[in-house]
Amino acid sequence: MSAYNRGTELDLSWISKIQVNHPAVLRRAEQIQARRTVKKEWQAAWLLKAVTFIDLTTLSGDDTSSNIQRLCYKAKYPIREDLLKALNMHDKGITTAAVCVYPARVCDAVKALKAAGCNIPVASVATGFPAGQTHLKTRLEEIRLAVEDGATEIDVVINRSLVLTGQWEGSDFIKTSTGKETVNATFPVAIVMLRAIRDFFWKTGNKIGFKPAGGIRSAKDSLAWLSLVKEELGDEWLKPELFRIGASTLLSDIERQIYHHVTGRYAAYHDLPMS
Amino acid sequence: MAATRAGPRAREIFTSLEYGPVPESHACALAWLDTQDRCLGHYVNGKWLKPEHRNSVPCQDPITGENLASCLQAQAEDVAAAVEAARMAFKSWSAHPGVVRAQHLTRLAKVIQKHQRLLWTLESLVTGRAVREVRDGDVQLAQQLLHYHAIQASTQEEALAGWEPMGVIGLILPPTFSFLEMMWRICPALAVGCTVVALVPPASPTPLLLAQLSGELGPFPGVLNVISGPASLVPILASQPGIQKVAFCGALEEGRALRRSLAGECAELGLALGTESLLLLTDTADIDSAVEGVVDAAWSDRGPGGLRLLIQESVWDEAMRRLQERMGRLRSGRGLDGAVDMGARGAAACDLVQRFVCEAQSQGAQVFQAGDVPSERPFCPPTLVSNLPPASPCAQVEVPWPVVVASPFRTAKEALLVANGTPRGGSASVWSERLGQALELGYGLQVGTVWINAHGLRDPSVPTGGCKESGCSWHGGPDGLYEYLRPSGTPAQLSCLSKNLNYDTFGLAVPSTLPAGPEIGPSPAPPYGLFVGGRFQAPGARSSRPIRDSSGNLHGYVAEGGAKDIRGAVEAAHQAFPGWAGQSPGARAALLWALAAALERRKSTLASRLERQGAELKAAEAEVELSARRLRAWGARVQAQGHTLQVAGLRGPVLRLREPLGVLAVVCPDEWPLLAFVSLLAPALAYGNTVVMVPSAACPLLALEVCQDMATVFPAGLANVVTGDRDHLTRCLALHQDVQAMWYFGSAQGSQFVEWASAGNLKPVWASRGCPRAWDQEAEGAGPELGLRAARTKALWLPMGD
Repeated sequence: MSAYNRGTELDLSWISKIQVNHPAVLRRAEQIQARRTVKKEWQAAWLLKAVTFIDLTTLSGDDTSSNIQRLCYKAKYPIREDLLKALNMHDKGITTAAVCVYPARVCDAVKALKAAGCNIPVASVATGFPAGQTHLKTRLEEIRLAVEDGATEIDVVINRSLVLTGQWEGSDFIKTSTGKETVNATFPVAIVMLRAIRDFFWKTGNKIGFKPAGGIRSAKDSLAWLSLVKEELGDEWLKPELFRIGASTLLSDIERQIYHHVTGRYAAYHDLPMS
Repeated sequence: MAATRAGPRAREIFTSLEYGPVPESHACALAWLDTQDRCLGHYVNGKWLKPEHRNSVPCQDPITGENLASCLQAQAEDVAAAVEAARMAFKSWSAHPGVVRAQHLTRLAKVIQKHQRLLWTLESLVTGRAVREVRDGDVQLAQQLLHYHAIQASTQEEALAGWEPMGVIGLILPPTFSFLEMMWRICPALAVGCTVVALVPPASPTPLLLAQLSGELGPFPGVLNVISGPASLVPILASQPGIQKVAFCGALEEGRALRRSLAGECAELGLALGTESLLLLTDTADIDSAVEGVVDAAWSDRGPGGLRLLIQESVWDEAMRRLQERMGRLRSGRGLDGAVDMGARGAAACDLVQRFVCEAQSQGAQVFQAGDVPSERPFCPPTLVSNLPPASPCAQVEVPWPVVVASPFRTAKEALLVANGTPRGGSASVWSERLGQALELGYGLQVGTVWINAHGLRDPSVPTGGCKESGCSWHGGPDGLYEYLRPSGTPAQLSCLSKNLNYDTFGLAVPSTLPAGPEIGPSPAPPYGLFVGGRFQAPGARSSRPIRDSSGNLHGYVAEGGAKDIRGAVEAAHQAFPGWAGQSPGARAALLWALAAALERRKSTLASRLERQGAELKAAEAEVELSARRLRAWGARVQAQGHTLQVAGLRGPVLRLREPLGVLAVVCPDEWPLLAFVSLLAPALAYGNTVVMVPSAACPLLALEVCQDMATVFPAGLANVVTGDRDHLTRCLALHQDVQAMWYFGSAQGSQFVEWASAGNLKPVWASRGCPRAWDQEAEGAGPELGLRAARTKALWLPMGD
């Protein structure tokens, strides 16, 4: 991740002045999905682009080195080679943006990626994920250990009790949710976050990244997220340094759509390698 | 592996991440045109009418210019045939119970649902509007409209008892319109039992398709007839015998001209004029969302016209930056492309925009245009005009689509002054997160529809209409139904046209009057003077006219009012208006009751004056008592006005407000000198209007007696009474630009003049056309019709959310 938030003086009046009209944001969220679609080659190209934004994630209690290894391989080769060739995209080095695992699995991931010979970053959730309700001391220690193991990106769960009492923290990236909530990445919430990112950029010149996570499962969803970012922030945010999609099953649906685009047929489950 | 379908461009798109075309196939629209051999006639009485020897106009794709079909242009005899079909159909259609009509409307909704692709591709193809808007918005709303009005039809016998359908409705639609404009009007008309002849501009296939779908349903072929033809047919349609109402939707000046040419004609006229909207952005607004409101209003294919945008000075820079940023992301293109915000609306619309922009620039305005828009005609880029001097001509005219004219304001009070400082009164939205401020602005705006923190929402159950020069006809909700109803038992409206009425000289000169001797008789000397601003004043002309009693003796002298007295009376009424309109209905009722009590105290004087006019003593006393009852009844009735609507898909209420019209001019009939005066005064005041009244010409003395009580009971200026030459005073009032509505009960010629003169500020007019009215009967003297005409509706949308 190259963009860093250089920070700024805390001016709480920025926050107190923010007005969000909930029904209006809901209407915008509905519209944005209906007003922008991409078809055919545009759809294929956009889907491949979406692949490069994915933080390919596994956050299960039963993760072991074997499924982490499979995940890392899929991150390196997200789309079947022959499909990419058909699109003349095989030499673009398309991989996912990162793999995202629990701190205890960082070691496995780093090892597997090294074995596959690629430099995809390893991201780790940390700091008492997903609730964040642990002591600051252990939270910091958790981050330190994950970095020691080779994680280069840390998804920090902030202590939300601080936010709700008006004590804010800064970051390089903001994420809609942990993906472990009952409601995760939704469009209305994303619109509010994207507008806040734009305001902060206009005020300070700092570009903050955005990562929706949780519930993004279909290729169609991912296209909607891309156009949402394009509409609200512009093309300059459509790069892995500033935009990620946290997802686990999304990739296989994208691959299926690419398969259909290239062959004109709908793929069977076994036509595509699992992740 | 199967044949590769991928093209070479994926690599480039992968880098640029641009949008591509999302073409919607319009094959079915073309196939439908083929069923007509690419030649569209008219749809009359359930059949296609393709008369020979008619001119035809090509129906073109507005973007490619490709000829899609040729459309036959109707002539007078085709119009007559359509009206005759509708007249025949009316007999059975209106005689059926509402449930039968409800079934027909429901079936039409189902047919539309089954053939919606045909409908939306055809509409988008020929109008150039974005297919997404037609598909997701218009077609769905069309079905909702049919369902809503089917329900209204099924409950008509109970809910609308005492009302009956008018008859055949002539519907006139403007050159650029969505087929929805037609649906909004035909649904209520058909629901209540009217039949329709729609005159659509040349080359409008969608209304014809709708008529065909309706006609093919079977038993009622003639209820919806569509003919297409040039604007020159409008007067021909309007003056067809049998047409009871003309609903006109279109440009302001055309509406004004139609108002003049239809004066005295048989058909009633409902106008819906202009397309401009207004958006008020305050400094507490969610500015990003308000910017989306601007997009909805002017830079999408949802809104019909341009937008006047008022931005509070303290957030001007921020709002302009966001607007310009947002404009850069708008996309325009072929309407049948599924990913564009704006289509194209033809060369004429494009020329209009160019002219407006050039003029604005020459008058000193800054113009900003942006967006992904094809450079060739007929595409217009989204346009933002700012720094337009308020006094420049461009600031006065209607803003065309897709132009937004932005200007700053300092305080909410100033915003209201600016917003209300235009002759138009269509729709507006208010963006503010402060509830009190939002409601203050929402109530204060003189428009038909106000959305709080939203723009352009519509629903079949919410009345939509306007005020001032936007015309006062309504569609949707209960108000839409009343447009096509009249009180049961009212005779069909007849023409009172007098071809040789000279509008220039009608009522211009006042015949001079000479002294006719001293007043004699038992009753005390009658009050003298014009009752203006709460007291009796000498007339400007300083002359008087004699009033004679039933036996020809001099009953008394009344002041001879003139143009200057009318001016003074209207001014006094305007001064009193804000205070009176701001009173609660309860407070207004209390004053009306006080006046009723005063009338009862004065009963013997009033009765003896009525006796001198030839009434029996008992009848005279009854008239006084009934007058007092009328005052009390309206005071009570107005407590229960307005209501809250619930709308599908919207959290929060929509308020249907009944607001006063403003200054109402009332010319009372000669007969019933006391009862008619009070019967008209009571509803007018109860709804919060202030009035200028011309009392009975035969015996104005009774009204003047009432004025003596009004002087003590009412605040000054609430009710003003001017006596004098009836035609002259009528002329002065009807031509007054600052009188908001007029009721005229008098001669046919006077009615014709009032209708003609109302075109000046398009004030709503209620003219008796020389027909007497039974003022002592409940239905005619105090029926709901008076209440409907004494106030105007405003729909206030209040979406809620945390």
